[in-house]
Parts: sequence; structure tokens; C-alpha cells
Amino acid sequence: MTKEAFNCVFRTITLRPCDTDLEQRIKAELVSAVMPWSITLAKILNKNFAVFSWLFVILTLASLGYMLYGAYNFYYYGNCDGPTATGACILNDLTGDYGRFSSPTELIPPTEFNGITVGPEDAEITIVEFGCFTCPYTKQAESIVDSLLKQYNGSMRYVFKPFPLPNHNNSYQTALSVLCADKQGKHWELRKLVFQEQTLCSVEGSTAIEKLAVEAGLDMDKFNSCLNNQNTKNELDLYIQQGKDSHIYATPTFFIEGEPLVGPEPISDFKKIIDKKLSD
Amino acid sequence: MIKLDANKIKEDFPFFQKNQNWVYLDSACTSLKPKQVITAELDYYENVSACASRSSHSLGRKATEAQDSARARVASFINSNQKEVIFTRNTTEGLNLAINSLDFSRLGKKKIVTTVLEHHSVLLPLFNLRNKNLIDLKVLECDSEGLISLDQWNDAINSNTALIVTNSSNNTLGTSQPTGEIAKIAHDSGAFICIDGAQGVAHQKTDFKKDDYDFLCFSGHKMLGPTGIGCLVAKSDLQKSMKPLVFGGGTVKTVSLEKAEFLENYEKFEAGIQNYAGAIGFGVACDYLKKIGMENINGHEKKLAAVAIRALEEAGALIYGSKEQKQSALISFNLKNAKPHDVALMLDKFNIAVRSGFFCAQPAMEAIGAKEGAVRLSAYLYNTEEDLTKFKEILLKVNELYS
Repeated sequence: MTKEAFNCVFRTITLRPCDTDLEQRIKAELVSAVMPWSITLAKILNKNFAVFSWLFVILTLASLGYMLYGAYNFYYYGNCDGPTATGACILNDLTGDYGRFSSPTELIPPTEFNGITVGPEDAEITIVEFGCFTCPYTKQAESIVDSLLKQYNGSMRYVFKPFPLPNHNNSYQTALSVLCADKQGKHWELRKLVFQEQTLCSVEGSTAIEKLAVEAGLDMDKFNSCLNNQNTKNELDLYIQQGKDSHIYATPTFFIEGEPLVGPEPISDFKKIIDKKLSD
Repeated sequence: MIKLDANKIKEDFPFFQKNQNWVYLDSACTSLKPKQVITAELDYYENVSACASRSSHSLGRKATEAQDSARARVASFINSNQKEVIFTRNTTEGLNLAINSLDFSRLGKKKIVTTVLEHHSVLLPLFNLRNKNLIDLKVLECDSEGLISLDQWNDAINSNTALIVTNSSNNTLGTSQPTGEIAKIAHDSGAFICIDGAQGVAHQKTDFKKDDYDFLCFSGHKMLGPTGIGCLVAKSDLQKSMKPLVFGGGTVKTVSLEKAEFLENYEKFEAGIQNYAGAIGFGVACDYLKKIGMENINGHEKKLAAVAIRALEEAGALIYGSKEQKQSALISFNLKNAKPHDVALMLDKFNIAVRSGFFCAQPAMEAIGAKEGAVRLSAYLYNTEEDLTKFKEILLKVNELYS
């Protein structure tokens, strides 16, 4: 039957009529299946079988296309839905050397708590976030971070490790800028503006970031000097390396007292873990 | 009074035990086989399985006896002499043998008369001879009811006619011809007559001697027998002058490098190892039909034909050929707006087996106005009125699809 079907498809696309009765047999199979339910529907199907056939052909081809797209995504991003459609920004590991990880069970909690930090060092709970300033999902998680910082003020230490994704334009430059703002104690100011103008930062890079730095009230001489300082780059590279060591495969990735959460999950999920850790 | 209980007959057919919800209405293509036939064939393979007319060991003798017995049963079924029965693969081979075995140049005349209502297995061997300029072919046309009158035969047959080849019952309309009378017309003009009995012998009482046929061909598989076996019944005196179609072992008395002396009668035409199991099954099938009685079978079929015609009329089907002249439950029809193949496929989905197309008789189909083919229903002794009720029920639904 498969051979017959392929032969029929080949003859159809070469504009020759199918030389078997496969089409009629399929029609009879489908129409007779509908007949016991509704003779009217069976009649419609019978009379417009060619239209329904083409519809199914188009749907099949579309489905095949999506399947190939999914396979492509799986190969390049480790996820069938692509880099931005999963609720987290997936690494394009062809452009980096991060390895191939795709599951929270493969994540290794970081042991270093350096980065952009908020909250007391001796807080009961430490949340580490690996995030990318040009990742829409890291941006989406900002409201969660804000809420948690307010709700668990005093009992939570928040550590942000910039982890610019190589498949996002100007991500490295943006991360470097926010690190430099942090040196001037104004990381939140620039961070909020960067997320607000995320697309602009991705598209224009330094030009857009410079304007935002001015708007954030940064000392631009110090800012520019910091950007050109090799130590700043070394610091960012260190965080990236820490991310690789933790097998980060998507941003944002949170570690709540070592327990991983990938993507901007509902705040209730965060609270559940935090409350459990606090009660232990 | 018809003495035939189709429901009881069904019990003899293993097919119905294994396929209870099937309505088989394609017996004109091939019939189902009763357990008696299947068992007889199996018995040959399990208990005999040897060559007939060759090996002198006891198994060989058993095979010879079984084949002779089968030949006698077949001969008895159509009232002929055992020596007149030549086993063939099927009707087609029988017709080819009969048509090609005559030496028309020796006969001194080469006109052959046939009809448009013939199967391809009649027309094609005749076309082959015509194309070689060995015969002059006259093809009789039929009227709109698919009938050919005796006057047409009378007008066409004359002293130049060498052979008449026609069917006793055709496979497109289920109508029969007065072949006995046609044989008389032929013989009065000094012509031979060859009857294609593929559809006739299975459904009506056939008498080779009484109807005075010269040749009669039919198949086992259309009359409850196995596939791959049939016969040409040819008058003994004619067999002497007939040329074999196939040469080989078992057909000769002696062979030297210079010449071969052929056996007489049927042996001359049965070259090589034969289908012994098929022949045995064929003989048993003849006995089975004889026991029920061909008059009973024919009466039952006519009854079924009337029921089927009423069902088709209710569905508004176009029925081909004369309804009154039907001699078997074979009806070709079409539904308005529906292609015959689509109708057959739809019926198949509800376990009703009918055939669609031209039934290897395209000129006949065109002559009766079924230029795109037709659907053919053909019932037999194992079909019941309930079968036709189910057929009607589904046909009405299928008709609604195309209305």
C-alpha cells in the first residue's frame, strides 16, 4: 500500500493520473466510516472528496514542515520549540562551547556566590540567577525577582550572575554595561532601563546602552573606562564560566538554595521552594 | 416447486463459517467452494499425490482411477461421453483449443459467426485468426435489451460458415440463448458449433448430446469447483482431426526422432502432468450440483433475480438487458451519478462483494450502453433473500450518497 501511495503521489506531481484505484479505495474507506454516523456528512465528504483530500495534503505537508522545524530546533537548541518559545532562552550550542544539556536534572548548583548581589550575606536563603539582559524570559522574570526581594526582605540574598547568550545580539556588551553600573552602585537603575529597552539594546548595542547609562545617571567617564577595563571582562567571563560549570542551558536559571528552576515559572513555585527551605 | 434450502446449503461452505457477515454476490467471477470439494482436493494431496496415467505403482493407479472418475462425473453432468472431456486450465484455454484446433483450409470454408455479447476469451482468439487472414469473422449485434434473435442467426449462417462460437448464457446480462436451435441451424449448414458454457453450465441444465453441440467449454471454479481446472468437451469424431494446442508428455503412443504417433481422444490434448487435484474437485462439484438439481438451482436463482431487480428498481438503478429473459441471478446495473467502481468499493466496505468494470467483455458492455462499465451482482445457490435484503439496505444508502 505504501508503494502504491508513493507511486500515486509521484504520478500526481508529474501531472499524470494515478493508475491504481487507491484514491477510490481511500474515499470508500472514509465515506463508509462516516455513513453510520451521518449520511448527510458522508454525502458532503463523498461529493467534495477532492477538496478534503487537498486539505489533508496541505495539513500533512504543513505538519511535515513543522516536524522538520522541530527536528532542526532539537538539533541546534536541544528543544523542539526553538530558542525563544519554551519559556526560557535556550543556548545555541553551535556558537558556543557549552555542551549539550537540556534538563534541570543535569544542572549543578554553583558554589561561588559572587556576582551582583542584593541582601545580607548571612541571609537564610540564597537565590542565584543566571540571566541574560537581552533574553525576553530573563526580562519576564524581573517582576518575580522584585516581588521575592520585597516579600523576603532580610531573609533572602539574591545573586545575579550575568550569563550573556551568544545567540543574542549585543548580549555580552549589555552584561558588561550592567556590571559597570554596579561598580557605581547603580546596577538596578541601568538594569531596569536595559530590560525596558531590551530590543533596542539588542539591535543598536553600545549606542543604545550609552544613552541608557546617561539616563541612569552614571558617571560616563568611569563607565567607559570600566567597559574598556580588562578586569571587567575577566569578571564577566568568570560568571560565564561558572554558568558553564553549572551546565546552564537556558536563561533565566535560578538556584534556590541549590534547587534549580528554569524559566520564569509562576511565583508560587518559587515561594513553595523558599518557604520549604525556610521551614527546614 | 423448488427444493432448495439456501441456508442449509450455506452450512456446506467453510467461507460462510469464517466470514459470517459477508454477502458474496460475485459468483459469476468465481463461486465459493463447498467443504466436499475442498476435502476431495486435500485428500488427493494427503493420500494419493501421484501422477495419473504414467506410474504403475498403486498410488499412480489410484491417481489414474481418481482422474478417470472425475472425467466421468464431469461427462455425466452435461450428458456427454467420458472420452469427450478434455481437461483444460479453464474455459479460456478450452475456447482457445477449440478455435485453434480446426484446420479451416482443409474444411474449405473460413467464415466464423459470433456475437458482440461474447467474453474476450471468445473474441480475442477469433481476432487473432482474423488478423492472420485465416478466417472471415461475422459478429452479430444485439438489440437494446441485449438479445439476438434466431432470425439473425439464420441470416448469418450459410454454407460458407465453418464455425459458430457463442455463449449459452452471457456474463454481462445473465440472459441465455436457444443454443440447441442455433446448433441445429449450424449443422443444417454444415457448420460446427462451439459453446462458451462458462456462465451457462454452472446455472442451467446443460445437455451436450441433446443440444448436439460440437464443442462445449466451461470452468470448474464457476460451479463450486477449484480454480485452475476446466474442460473442453468435443465430439469424439471431431477430436481425431483436431490439432493439439500444447505438445508434450502423455500425448503420444510412440516417438522417434523422425515422427510422433499421437494418442486418440482427450489424451492427445492433455500434455504434461495435469491438475489432478483440481480435476477430482471438479468432479465432486459436478456431483454436488447434480444432487441438488440444476432445475432447483435455476429456479432459486430466478427467484433471487426477481428480488434483486425489485431492490435495484427501488434504488432507481439503471438495469442493463432484458429483465424477463434472465436465466440466472446475474444483473448488471449502474446508479445515477455514481461510477461503477465507486459503488462496488462502497458495497465492499459493508461486506458485500460485487464486481465492477467491463467483466472482460468490453464490446458487449458498449453494445448494451454501459460505456463506462457497470456493477455486476451475481448470486448463486448459497445466496438467500436475506442476503439481498442486506444488499438493498446498503445500496439505498450508497444511492443516497450520489443523489
